[in-house]
Amino acid sequence: MQSLVLSFALAGAFACGAQPKKPTNPLGDSPQVAEAGQQLYNRTCTGCHGPDGGEGERAPSLDANRRYFRVSEAAIFEVVKNGIPGTAMPSTNLPDTEIWKIVAFIRNVRATASDLVVAGDVRNGMLVFRGEGGCVRCHMIRGQGGLLGPDLSSIGAQLPLKKLHETLTKPRPIPIGFRPVTVTNLQGETISGVARNADGFSLQVLDAKGKLHLLDTKELRTVNYAKESLMPHNFDRTLNGEQYRDLVAMLAVQARTKVRAPLQGENEAGR
Amino acid sequence: MSFRTLLIGAALSGVSLTAQVTEKQLREAQAGNWLHYNGSYDSRRHSALNQIHTGNVDALVPRWIFRVPGATTLQTVPIVVDGVMYVTQPNEVYAIDARSGRKIWEYHRVPARLKGPNRGVAVWMDKVYFTTPDAHLIALNAATGNVIWESKIAEASDGYWSPAAPLVVKGKVLAGIAPGDHGLNGFLDAYDATTGERLWRFHSIPRPGEPGSETWSGDSWKSAGGNTWLTGSYDPELNLLYWGIGNPAPDFNGDVRLGDNLYTECVVALDLDTGKLKWYFQFTPHDTMDWDAVEIPVLVDAPYKGKIWKLMAHADRNGFYYLLDRVTGKFLHGVPFVKKLNWASGLTPEGRPIRVPGIEPTLKGTVVCPAAAGAANWQSPAYSPATGLFYVVAQEGCGLANKSTETFRPGGFQYRATGDVNLRDESWKVYVRALDLTTGQLRWESERTGSTGLGGGLLSTAGGLLFSGEQNGQFVGLDAKSGETLWHFYTGQQISAQPITYTINGKQHVAIAAGADILSFALFEFKGPTK
Repeated sequence: MQSLVLSFALAGAFACGAQPKKPTNPLGDSPQVAEAGQQLYNRTCTGCHGPDGGEGERAPSLDANRRYFRVSEAAIFEVVKNGIPGTAMPSTNLPDTEIWKIVAFIRNVRATASDLVVAGDVRNGMLVFRGEGGCVRCHMIRGQGGLLGPDLSSIGAQLPLKKLHETLTKPRPIPIGFRPVTVTNLQGETISGVARNADGFSLQVLDAKGKLHLLDTKELRTVNYAKESLMPHNFDRTLNGEQYRDLVAMLAVQARTKVRAPLQGENEAGR
Repeated sequence: MSFRTLLIGAALSGVSLTAQVTEKQLREAQAGNWLHYNGSYDSRRHSALNQIHTGNVDALVPRWIFRVPGATTLQTVPIVVDGVMYVTQPNEVYAIDARSGRKIWEYHRVPARLKGPNRGVAVWMDKVYFTTPDAHLIALNAATGNVIWESKIAEASDGYWSPAAPLVVKGKVLAGIAPGDHGLNGFLDAYDATTGERLWRFHSIPRPGEPGSETWSGDSWKSAGGNTWLTGSYDPELNLLYWGIGNPAPDFNGDVRLGDNLYTECVVALDLDTGKLKWYFQFTPHDTMDWDAVEIPVLVDAPYKGKIWKLMAHADRNGFYYLLDRVTGKFLHGVPFVKKLNWASGLTPEGRPIRVPGIEPTLKGTVVCPAAAGAANWQSPAYSPATGLFYVVAQEGCGLANKSTETFRPGGFQYRATGDVNLRDESWKVYVRALDLTTGQLRWESERTGSTGLGGGLLSTAGGLLFSGEQNGQFVGLDAKSGETLWHFYTGQQISAQPITYTINGKQHVAIAAGADILSFALFEFKGPTK
């Protein structure tokens, strides 16, 4: 785990610009550069990849939903310039300046929500979080809120914007440690909550009032797990457009720990 | 009724009822839970639990092992609240089901800095507090590990970090700082346990014009050390905190800091509400051997010279055992608790050491006993009201001590001006010693055979047992009256932490960190044939 923590730390240092020794984008990462890169990408790369970084006829999508071994700006630059041997990915004779624009766009496609400027009123989004949205019953931001769901103090730094939208609008798998469960013990008492941890012999349940129940499976008559997450997935319908936009904008800026979760496969190359 | 309706409906009902550790519980420190680093505000490390006793300790067997990922030699002291155990390593906190050993949650400080060790958490209401290698104090929700607040204690880039378990008293979190070996001036802080706001700071090095500043020559006070890297004690009646202060800097060259160098090598008594100094007592004026006086102050009310006194007992790294009046700080009594002690011939009636000329670090090297590693160190002592004995891990060893003219460099560099070489030969020994509380006389001793370092600390129980974790990996149970070894379990790893005891469903357990693991023991129960 310590190596994971260390890799988090290194990723953080890199993201903060403290670390890089390899070349970084000389054009910077402003929205304008990324936008110019997007136009360029849509003109030159969509013969194979899909438009705007999506999946294409002959090449995969470049968004944050897949596993990457090339993550740094330098690595993306290298592959755009020189191609990938043994695949259909060709080299290019675009000038370096143009390649860097494409790199900025690809990085943007993979960025976490807190890396982006997301339209909306953050202050109003917090009101929605605490009020109409009902989020605060289960979720905590910076020490304020409920315990039943994951702490969202760094959610903007953990999820790409697209996934942030998905968690609010589509059914999602239950995160580890948050599976709803109801048990009855040998005395017939019922305990409901989320199973923070379980094995064949013991179960640790956090109930809605924030109390931990440490249970021995021998002392339980029934254990019923729910199939679905407690998380609603219809916020785009239960909130009005403005409320939904502001909620997303507020969540996007939550980056208490300014280190994104590693993209799947990151730092695992060569294992 | 659906899960969602049931659960979120309950969540709606408002105030969290997470297990709450009240001020009363912290003060009473009743057996069953283990709520403080040293068990109770008086730091006696004595538990009223007696299910495991001298007559049945032979049946003590491990119940579970929890491996702390990536750990090497843990120094964490587990804290147990209503069956949930909290353990730490630098940057990390783990909540464990204390009946099964299963992890409930974990917290990782990001970005992590690699400065260790970490000695554990403190608890209050629904929160868990710990300090970090980047010198922050963090409050976590006890049920989930969610971060509630974090406060910066000091600048990590200056070289500060924080390894000690905090102490919570009356809604204040007391947090200390390290190191004293980098020329960084120390202090003790109090934070609001609810908000994380800093309430006061006691500077362990007086600034110019303040009382005590005359004990530092020239500008030496500017890079003077005096840190607070272990946990202190508290007397609710006097509303006083007792905290040990670490070494002066540079550690081994006193020529550049002439004077007594207050308040290094002191125990200070501080008003809890204000942080103001009530009194101090200095064990090693003008120390040149890195003999931090952070060893745990143990508070006992006991008869002394015909009346009941509020006493403080302290076995110092410098080799002397001290008895103080903890109301006034007056020295009452002091004797050596190790035989290898050559730097002082005794103590004056005021408790000041009578130094032997020439026994101090030199350019050429001088044999000084105890070695800088100390006659005692972070290994917590224990006191049993049943036996009236003070138990201490005592090290018999000398060092060849050198000094140099090294100067201070800012930025977190070592500022020791050299050190000592441990003269480890067959005469270097480690013991558990039982001292009469008021006379300091040796009543029994048990050698930690095979240990060449202090190892872990002690736990006394009403079962007449003294549990002791040895550097060589043996976890032993001694007869608290005689020192006879009644039980042992080989953990296979170096022990550098102190044991604790708690109950699960009324059954006594004993737990300790050994190497990378937390182990919990209980009495073997044969429940009849398996099939």
